[in-house]
Amino acid sequence: MTNSSLSERIYYDDDIVKKFVLATMIWAGAAFLFGLLAAFQLAYWPLNGNLEWITFGRLRPLHTNAAIFAFGGNAIFAGIYHSSQRLLKARMFSDLLSKMHFWGWQLIILSAAITLPLGYSQSKEYAELEWPIDIAITVVWVLFAINFFGTIKRRREKHLYVALWFYIATIITVATLHIVNSIEIPVAFLQSYPVYAGIQDAMVQWWYGHNAVAFFLTTPFLGLMYYYVPKAANRPVYSYRLSIIHFWALVFIYIWAGPHHLLYTSLPAWAQTLGMVFSVMLWAPSWGGMINGLLTIKGSWHLLRTEPLIKFFVAALTFYGMVTFEGPLLSIKSVSAVGHYTDWIVGHVHSGTLGWNGFLTFGMIYYLVPRLWKTELYSKKLLENHFWIGLTGVLLYYISMVVAGITQSMMWRALTPEGALVYPDFIETVVRIVPLYWVRAIGGTLYLIGFFMMGYNIYKTIRLAPAEQNDEAADVVRSGYGELTKETHRKLEGMGLTFSVLTFLAIAVGSVIEIYPTLSLHKYVNAADIIEPYTPLELAGRDIYVKEGCYNCHSQQIRPIVSEVLRYGKASTIEESMYDRPFQWGSKRTGPDLARVGKKYPNLWHLNHMLDPRAVTPKSIMPSYPWLFEKDTNFLILRKKLSVMSYLGVPYEQDVVANADIHAQKQALEIAADLEENGAPKGLSKKEIVALIAYLQSLGQKGKSE
Amino acid sequence: MKQEGLKYFTDTNLTAVGLIIFFAFFVGLLFWVYRKSSSEIYIEMSRLPLKEENSK
Repeated sequence: MTNSSLSERIYYDDDIVKKFVLATMIWAGAAFLFGLLAAFQLAYWPLNGNLEWITFGRLRPLHTNAAIFAFGGNAIFAGIYHSSQRLLKARMFSDLLSKMHFWGWQLIILSAAITLPLGYSQSKEYAELEWPIDIAITVVWVLFAINFFGTIKRRREKHLYVALWFYIATIITVATLHIVNSIEIPVAFLQSYPVYAGIQDAMVQWWYGHNAVAFFLTTPFLGLMYYYVPKAANRPVYSYRLSIIHFWALVFIYIWAGPHHLLYTSLPAWAQTLGMVFSVMLWAPSWGGMINGLLTIKGSWHLLRTEPLIKFFVAALTFYGMVTFEGPLLSIKSVSAVGHYTDWIVGHVHSGTLGWNGFLTFGMIYYLVPRLWKTELYSKKLLENHFWIGLTGVLLYYISMVVAGITQSMMWRALTPEGALVYPDFIETVVRIVPLYWVRAIGGTLYLIGFFMMGYNIYKTIRLAPAEQNDEAADVVRSGYGELTKETHRKLEGMGLTFSVLTFLAIAVGSVIEIYPTLSLHKYVNAADIIEPYTPLELAGRDIYVKEGCYNCHSQQIRPIVSEVLRYGKASTIEESMYDRPFQWGSKRTGPDLARVGKKYPNLWHLNHMLDPRAVTPKSIMPSYPWLFEKDTNFLILRKKLSVMSYLGVPYEQDVVANADIHAQKQALEIAADLEENGAPKGLSKKEIVALIAYLQSLGQKGKSE
Repeated sequence: MKQEGLKYFTDTNLTAVGLIIFFAFFVGLLFWVYRKSSSEIYIEMSRLPLKEENSK
């Protein structure tokens, strides 16, 4: 059939794929280690070693960024570079761009690994990196896009296989999300304030945050699934038609789901309902994809014996099915009321990342490495052991966290017949679940042990590979250009550009309708409810709160739920966070909500609490913060900070902006005097702890009616 | 308060049009994808990943 005169010999760039595979392995190890350390810290607080750089509030962003962008990112790129060249019958557009993409991405990861432990953070989950790194991400992503679309343009296969659709959607949407969510104004080399405030910031952030899951951890991995599962099972995907419906439904619906992270907050009800409805709808296309993947393997069960790596794909798809069932469930408002702020969510996301993304990546790497290095896998036995140990680890993790989450939530909500809280002390609900934190840490350890087995297996495989490695050559024939069918309906799949524009429109509609009204909300707040902006010292303290990552364990958003109002005070309003840049609503309550903690305790209580939380709350699992007593507050930068805030529309008087440092020092002296009077050491006024206390005492106290 | 900000959402015609556009898109997609005459091409498409086996 093949006409030899039309056949061309081309060489695939496998070197870049190998690079990304190795980077995936290295960063996966780092991400898992950070996560494991964080897990042990929650079970046993002294494990931060009194080092500020690895204290939970800074370690958790490091862990999530490493897991998503370093491990997930490199895995995606490895798979995309490998499969796209073969599906398009073309070498990557430019070897130089490929290299720039690779090294640029590793530099971004490295700069994240340096800045996050140092406390340079925007505090927006999965978008913590500061503005210079944000710019670098944009540049590298554009290089990647040029390289990818350039390859599409040069392709020798007219038809774009469905995996490529998922890659295109990923590239376009991640760019949109990253740029819109990262609009910020720098105040220093590594600090900035977002242009959005309070509810706007919350809405934009969770539109981004949820779609980071959707378009960084779901669509690209689905693309990989649609390529590697058929390859490993050696049979075409079960239903190509289903894959098309799966694609469009996901792209259209996912973008709307963000507000399910903000149920029962001060976000307007219409947006909450919209987020909930679309989240529930997502169940259908997600399961369509899972079923499609599993049924592809269905006829190849015998391969499980000869190709055990398929087990990873089966488990990954099963986890995908579980997670995409649980996600919509958790997005139902009444279920969210129970699950939100608890460890249930932590369990949910880890069954997604460890079970779905992790196992799919492991399967892909076990498939790729022997083929790329032209050899056999060193040990299938070791692979089997990795699978079972890893699976046990994920299950222990997931089960312990769901039980912990529901247990704690039930304790938070428990009311006596008289209508009082059964567990008024938050710490009681924490102590109860600490044993489960140990179980989770054991689960994580197992997962990591399995991963080390994989590392050894891959290392041995590569060591035993033939020394001489050439790019793989292939004889390809241009196809799909009319020789198959003349029908017009095939046009769309063949037109990369039109297709990309349609995909962009699909995500743009949802984004604009959801975000645009929220952006104008502050204009319509009730004038009587408008709050006072933070004083300069409070703002300095707030930035310390952000830097230490307090939001990782403390929310600032009281939901209109009986037990919550009893515990924390009246529900939070839109006005209360309208000057908050960035917003600090948080998403997890390892400790209590702080939205109305101001004036609840004397200054000295806070001082003692930050020095040793157990001095005021026995059995507290919060780490101590002795460095806040040593470091000086940067007063001078406050002029710049306030002028940026003022530029963004916060109503500061001119004098306060111009003399921000003087105002701050005055307030700091007052607080320090109060502390001394009550027995604290002298000379604290310049220290960060005083600024932080000023901020904590202002929480919930800024309303004019208060 | 937020009524003014959300005014255009209360326009039932607009939301209805939106619903119809979305719904029509999906129904159209279903019909298009499941047309009998396209079976051959979909079989061909689904074999794309398995076809590149003539590598050297």
